[in-house]
Amino acid sequence: MAKKEYDTFILIELSQVPEDKEMEIIVRDLTPEDRRYKYRSFYATAMISKSESKYPDRLWVRLGRGQLQEKPWSVKILKEVNKFSY
Amino acid sequence: MPYTVFKDNREFIKALEANDDLVTIQQEVDWDLEMGAIVRRVCEKKSASPYFKKIKDYPGFEAFGAPLATYKRLAIAMGMKPDASVPEISNEYVKRTTGDPVKSILMDKKKAPCKENIWTGKEADLFKLPGPMVHDGDGGRYLATWHFVVSKDLDTEFVNWGMYRQMVFDEKTMVGPVLPFSDMGKMFYGKYVPKNKPMPFATVIGCDPLSGVAACAPSPIPEDEFTGMLMGAPVELVKCETNDLYVPAHAEIIIEGEVLPDIKIDEAPFGEYTGYRTSPREPRTVYRVNAITFRNNPIVTVSNMGVPTDEGQLLRSFSLGLEMRKLLESQGIPITGVFMLPESTHHLVVVGVRPAYSGIASQIANLVFGSKLSPWFTMVVVVDNETDIYNKDEVIHALCTKCHPIRGIRKYEQAPGTPLYPFADPEERKWSRGSQVLFDCTFPLDWPKASIPIKVSFNNVYPKEIQDMVLKNWKSYGFKD
Repeated sequence: MAKKEYDTFILIELSQVPEDKEMEIIVRDLTPEDRRYKYRSFYATAMISKSESKYPDRLWVRLGRGQLQEKPWSVKILKEVNKFSY
Repeated sequence: MPYTVFKDNREFIKALEANDDLVTIQQEVDWDLEMGAIVRRVCEKKSASPYFKKIKDYPGFEAFGAPLATYKRLAIAMGMKPDASVPEISNEYVKRTTGDPVKSILMDKKKAPCKENIWTGKEADLFKLPGPMVHDGDGGRYLATWHFVVSKDLDTEFVNWGMYRQMVFDEKTMVGPVLPFSDMGKMFYGKYVPKNKPMPFATVIGCDPLSGVAACAPSPIPEDEFTGMLMGAPVELVKCETNDLYVPAHAEIIIEGEVLPDIKIDEAPFGEYTGYRTSPREPRTVYRVNAITFRNNPIVTVSNMGVPTDEGQLLRSFSLGLEMRKLLESQGIPITGVFMLPESTHHLVVVGVRPAYSGIASQIANLVFGSKLSPWFTMVVVVDNETDIYNKDEVIHALCTKCHPIRGIRKYEQAPGTPLYPFADPEERKWSRGSQVLFDCTFPLDWPKASIPIKVSFNNVYPKEIQDMVLKNWKSYGFKD
């Protein structure tokens, strides 16, 4: 099965991003089954690595003004977090 | 008296076509960047408006780009001749909007085009609408780029129509900045949030062109009545499905819901009106969707903020300048006109004045910077009545020759600002702190008359009979222009 792809905006120094720890991030789905849902955002509990191969899915990284970083990281989405009461 | 105007965008699109100012694109375009790129290039080249008939993944939907990005389109929207000059359009706008407000009227829901389709519950899903990815690197898809948000005061009957950008977050959620000094910001953060109450909203996409102009205008008159003044006839409104707000009945798409008082989520970056992606990605105001209503084969309007000139820059400059003209005239200042250059991304306003007394430029700047609209005016250039405020060459010439580099410039610090200023440092953006400046391009009145420089131009340094003779013989000299 092809890797799923997500992206996320990193607003701190990339060197300070913790790897291999459960944390909450916002990701956007870049490869949904139904293309109309591309860029759907969601909060997720996830683990990330700067290695492209460590986790099952690809994670593209953008900086605060949208600058896309050249090399993707990898991510394991553990669960989607619903922030709304309805 | 009704003017020749358009009750919806469909009539306006036909008028643009009739005036050779529309390109109908029959081939399928992708909502993911392609449509945005086309609209961006249209804005930069001042090309005709694109009318997209087929959008990838969204059969049955259409889109209309750069609806009001030129003065020609504004003139057509106002029912004027397409080649009307900026002063002509300005004077017509001031004339129409200086009389009595025109109350809107209600339309029966069964007859309202925007109710032809109604989605509620799970069906009201934002991804079923073709929100474009406008620029590569944006924080999300911006369904609302040329639109307005209707909201109502918690305690009074005051209703606001304002353009507040909205990014699609998920099926039911949009998010965007609501600046605290804006009309909606004052209502939401001043009244709803302290009581932890959700604020009903309705986003209107694809309204008639003059409702869009009114939503951009910083007038104290309620925007629906202001639209009626521009149209010379009442706007037809219809009640929302899930709240008590009223929206233009002929609009293409209405998104109804609530602004949540107890949560913020990340929004941006986005290509902004200044021509940069400036404001940070940060937690911003959250809109949750309850219903979507729309016309058959709805037409989404797409604006593309970036380097000049898009409709946000053009119309905000136009209406901000003219509202400032009304304010200065109401104070009895002997101005000859006010013009805000669209290329300044509504940061620089030129005020023409008869320099009747000393300190008049400072008085103008104090009024501009002391007004409610202050954050949108970072630079005021005051020129004398010999300078054509609409002529950029003349304004630059006055700025560079009449404004003393020290005495002619006055700085105003600690002003309210916005997070969108590209020139501001990160801390200033974080706290919305602004700075402003006056360029006084009038010669001081206390200079001896003999010391005042004389402008050397064809119109100024030749006797009338010589000017007339040269003009009469111009072609016979061999000139073709």
